[in-house]
Amino acid sequence: MNLLRAVLLLIVFNTPIKANSIYNIIKIPNLEIYKIDTKNKLKYFYAARPFRLGTQKNIVCSNPNKKDLEIKYKIIYKNLSRYSYDYLKKINLKYIVMCENLSISELYTAGIADNIMKTLILDIKFNEDYFERVIHHEVFHMIYLQYKEIFSDEEWTKFNNSEFKYAECSTCTKKIGLKKNNETKGFFTEYSQSTASEDMAEVYSHMIYLKRSEIKQISKLDPILNNKISYIESKIKQIDSSFTF
Amino acid sequence: MIKKIKASKSEKLILIFLILLSITTFSAYFLIKNECLFIKNIDVSNLSLKNKNNIVILNVPCGNVIIELYPKISPNGVRRFKTLIKSGAYDNIAFHRVIKNKLVQAGDLEYGKKESINYGKIGTGKSGLGNIKSEIDNEFKYVAGSIGLARTFKNDTEDSQFFIILQDEPLFEGEYTPLGNVLYGLEALNKIKHQRNSEYVLRPDFINSLKMFN
Repeated sequence: MNLLRAVLLLIVFNTPIKANSIYNIIKIPNLEIYKIDTKNKLKYFYAARPFRLGTQKNIVCSNPNKKDLEIKYKIIYKNLSRYSYDYLKKINLKYIVMCENLSISELYTAGIADNIMKTLILDIKFNEDYFERVIHHEVFHMIYLQYKEIFSDEEWTKFNNSEFKYAECSTCTKKIGLKKNNETKGFFTEYSQSTASEDMAEVYSHMIYLKRSEIKQISKLDPILNNKISYIESKIKQIDSSFTF
Repeated sequence: MIKKIKASKSEKLILIFLILLSITTFSAYFLIKNECLFIKNIDVSNLSLKNKNNIVILNVPCGNVIIELYPKISPNGVRRFKTLIKSGAYDNIAFHRVIKNKLVQAGDLEYGKKESINYGKIGTGKSGLGNIKSEIDNEFKYVAGSIGLARTFKNDTEDSQFFIILQDEPLFEGEYTPLGNVLYGLEALNKIKHQRNSEYVLRPDFINSLKMFN
């Protein structure tokens, strides 16, 4: 046993250090460059091997296969290309990490936004039906984290009917449906009813994803959503006056 | 009567081989020991340099490294760097973080001084002049020999620590405040002492001097 320990120690102490620029910058291991010379200067990485993150190592993601990556990269790139370099700079988004089966504490998630590391991790295997819209949902989380002082959950909650209450947290509810409600009644999706910030992200992502005419129509028919849409629009204008939905 | 025995031909060959082997070993020992042997020392007086006000001479164990600073790209960063150079603050400061063939980092003025190096805190020291804002908006290509200001995970935390990269690093663009480029003597930086299994160096090499050309 002692001999085994000694051998292991010897291996550890003799392992040459491998410099990894990506890890040094965003602190996520096992990544490789997918594309870095993009118009809006977003840099795309992919998991070359599975990685674990966080102090509890509870964030887990696997390496995707090349074919999936190629297909999903095009979709992600197309959607994120609508954001200018200046906008991305303001919201502190610079790095996109593409991986598969992303989970936090064994709960699968579409993405994780980290404004400190300027990074958005996206699960490329996330539900195909909502994949594109969800990209913008996660972008909103980035914005929300970066501008906590300008988004007020309290103010937002007041837009809803007085008897409505959000769940304690986004994972403390069974309301996780992402299909757009036919009758909106103040919420774009079932998941909108989870928490105020998730609701904001759902409104933002629909504002980006749907046609302007559709949003106008929804605003006309649903006074609650009308208030929510105006709120998001004004806050985003506050961040970047040149941004258009 | 003692009979004289003549050495055979093969014995003579073995003797010659042993003599040659010992000469080679002996000379190799000195060659290997002198790590700067094949590094050409740059004589500044022989160089025709433009922008002399932005030329810096970094003297390291294997000779001079000539750096050109770019104040148009990072005015505040270059101003801070020049202020510290002119005060002699970088002299005898450790290259505390060295990654072979990748980068050398120095400039911890608080814990990296030769006479009072603090291995427990090296890399976290300050200059006493406060942090400056990151200047990452202007175009700058990080190629082998580019020099930039180091910072913590957060932007706007640049102070006195700087790094020089030994290979192209496109990911550094827009991430770190650039200061300039090495014009001559990059080979001398490749010889800065590094550790095989750690980025941080025990008993590191030091900056002999860092001076403005003018």
